[in-house]
Amino acid sequence: MLTTDASQARYLIDPTRLDLAREFRRMPRGHYSLELQQVLYRMRWSGVGQRHVLLMLEPGRRWMLAQLPERRGEPLKTFPEQVFTSIADAEWTVFCLRWELLTGESISNLNLD
Amino acid sequence: MLNTVAVIGYAAPIEVARGSTVEFKLSSATLTSARAQIVKIRCGDPDPSGPGVQLIAMPSPLDGEVALTHQPIHAGSCGLVDDAPVLRALGSFSIGCWVWPTLLDAGAQTVVARWREDTQEGWRLGLDAQGRASFAVAVAGHTCSATASRALLEREWAFIGASYDATSGQLEVFQHSLDVLGGRDRSASDKGSAPRHAAWPAGLPLSFAAHLCDDGTQHLAAAHFNGKIDRPRLHAGVHSLEALRASAAALRPARGDADLVAAWDFSESIGSDRIVDRGPHGLHGKLRNAPTRAVTGANWSARTPHWTEATEEYGAIHFHNDDIDDCRWNTNLSLDIPTDWPSGFYSLRLSATDTDGQPAESHVPFFIGAQPGQARARLAFVASTATFLAYSNSAIRLDLQPTEAMLEQLLVLGPDDAYLQEHRELGLSTYDTHSDGSGWCYASAARPILNMRPHGGGYYQMDTRVIDWLDSTGISYDVITDSDIHRHGAQLLADYGCVLTGCHPEYYTQQMLDAFETYQAGGGRHVYLGGNGFYWRTAFHPTKPGRIEIRRGLTGTRTWEGEPGENGLSSTGEPSGLWRSNGRPPQRLVGVGFDAQVFDRGCAYRRLPDSLDPRVAFIFEGVGEQEVIGDFGLRGGAGGHEIDRVDTRLGSPPHLLRVATADDFGSGGLATPEEFGVSHRGLGGDQNNQIRADMTFFPTARGGAVFTTGSIAWGMALAHRGYDNNVSRITANVLRRFIDPAPFTGFGSSDEEAY
Repeated sequence: MLTTDASQARYLIDPTRLDLAREFRRMPRGHYSLELQQVLYRMRWSGVGQRHVLLMLEPGRRWMLAQLPERRGEPLKTFPEQVFTSIADAEWTVFCLRWELLTGESISNLNLD
Repeated sequence: MLNTVAVIGYAAPIEVARGSTVEFKLSSATLTSARAQIVKIRCGDPDPSGPGVQLIAMPSPLDGEVALTHQPIHAGSCGLVDDAPVLRALGSFSIGCWVWPTLLDAGAQTVVARWREDTQEGWRLGLDAQGRASFAVAVAGHTCSATASRALLEREWAFIGASYDATSGQLEVFQHSLDVLGGRDRSASDKGSAPRHAAWPAGLPLSFAAHLCDDGTQHLAAAHFNGKIDRPRLHAGVHSLEALRASAAALRPARGDADLVAAWDFSESIGSDRIVDRGPHGLHGKLRNAPTRAVTGANWSARTPHWTEATEEYGAIHFHNDDIDDCRWNTNLSLDIPTDWPSGFYSLRLSATDTDGQPAESHVPFFIGAQPGQARARLAFVASTATFLAYSNSAIRLDLQPTEAMLEQLLVLGPDDAYLQEHRELGLSTYDTHSDGSGWCYASAARPILNMRPHGGGYYQMDTRVIDWLDSTGISYDVITDSDIHRHGAQLLADYGCVLTGCHPEYYTQQMLDAFETYQAGGGRHVYLGGNGFYWRTAFHPTKPGRIEIRRGLTGTRTWEGEPGENGLSSTGEPSGLWRSNGRPPQRLVGVGFDAQVFDRGCAYRRLPDSLDPRVAFIFEGVGEQEVIGDFGLRGGAGGHEIDRVDTRLGSPPHLLRVATADDFGSGGLATPEEFGVSHRGLGGDQNNQIRADMTFFPTARGGAVFTTGSIAWGMALAHRGYDNNVSRITANVLRRFIDPAPFTGFGSSDEEAY
């Protein structure tokens, strides 16, 4: 039986590496440096903070932040106050959430542009 | 947000011919009516960066309002044996079977019973909510039970059984582990008492893997068992565990055993929905909702991994509480397909305003396939219906934890995904796992399929981008379907000078491969515009239209892995798995075969020296020698998503010309598992030159030829810049040349031989 368990993800993120956060802010959709790739894989594989997803409101134009539930058959949890008109902004929002969950350090209020 | 699920439905059959009838079975939980209209689909992709959804109204007698009701789906498989005098007349009796439970925390589960939930009558043997064997007898609304003291282990065989002594009223239940070593022993028993001389309900079927909610007329069942059941035995009289096990050990019951009531042999009629009884009373039955057959039993010895060679070791059926085969809905509308309609991708569009005041637009897909002798064009486009079915209602992104990591971006879900997350009764795709973690082997079209329609995503949607491009070129074409190729073989293909397969023709039956091989060897021309094609060996069910089966063995890019010994197709007896593992790699048919997934970004093609060969100059008319090809499209390139390469060891023809390649994928190009034997650094596209999409041409025989692009992303680049781009140009160059019957010259007389 194949297993792809989220608990397998083990890469430790160094909270001082704000350069990696800046790199992601600049280019949320690859190509990434090897170290950023490792950071992202840790975030994306582990599903830390439950699995955030985007719910499409208008194809290619508007998306709402949502979370997948733990159990099949339960509804998505949606965040109507978090609607994005840019995929890059959505990616950055989730990146910041996960960064804080994995490192204990908040970066959402830093100017990393 | 457009409401795409206010109405759901399915067409029966999903693939139709002109002049035949299609029925539409619809359901709405919220609407009482909707406006119906048949549309032909030119493009089903709402992505604003592409052509957008484009539907062509096809006036028909169906146009107008259709009344809607809610039609429920009752998921969960079970076996049913009609009531019989010998079942009603049972006094003292004993029941036993092997079980391999797979989801012990799913609540109480019934293994075998004559029990109705509404009146609480009958008897049932199963597992309680703690996973312990439990036997209950109910008389006049009073239930008595006995329950073993220990829970069974998941995915471990155990023999469970029970007896009822009508004279004393004593109940006994027992469970005995097959493997008692290493802490696996869960053997236990219990006794209880019940009224004597119980009378059993009349008119009630005996059931396996669930019990009925009523007398069976409502098709409602409850307490579905998850796991395998093997060799159930029912005897009159009180028999010990050892006696019942001995009864189940015999492949054929002893003749003249007056106490034997039934000896069900699930290794019989494996390809069907029948249950066969080898006992003296002919208590045969039928299966509901397609549980998995051709699975190993408790007696599987591993002397062979294929069920057809040791049928007696495959006397188990794997039941799931979420199995679904046929919703059996009532018909709301039916349509006689006009004989003058073009073949193509169609749907019944249902429009309304939903209860929130939002626009609702739902589609029920169907395909009109040209039949042999009906060709109206030189070109045929293949609707990859086997592949669409394999992906039908895919929940990969919902259930498979690493999907976001694999796709390297936040998952974007649509309203259909949100609906499927809540409504698992629709049944999932062959990429998904059942609630017990085992893979879905069957996919049926007799249920609503959300990702095989406009707005629905998936490879269906991608292929409509190719259709849209074809319509933009003015090149005349027919649409033929996978199941028609399967049924009619090469004669269907032979009607056309050229056959076009789309973005992802991944699932092929032996008959389909044979048809293409014969077609190509007989002068047919094949343009394969996709990637990861001709990959999995599947089968259409011989008697159930719209049902396919796949077994995923121990290799290939796969989201689940079958159990050892379970790689044989129950419906046909053929092996399944990869065609590469079956001795027919895609390279032998089309010159290229799957090498990698690349989800992070697309890649452009560059021309190779073979592209300067004058014999293939037609391909690159209007394209410069140094021109970058396809640096646009899906994630930025016409090469990508899933890609195919040339390999002469796997059958790429010696005189194949590799005219272009997309090979600059970087580390996001990930080799498929069958491409490497041992893991090491450097398998990715940044270091591995076998991670590439190859554009190829080769002649076959008698004027036939094959052209490939080796990339799923190719078709998604066709519409770039209003169709004015070099991906579009190359595709049009090739198609126009392939439709032209003039022979390809300069390849020598050896090309007259079938390869």
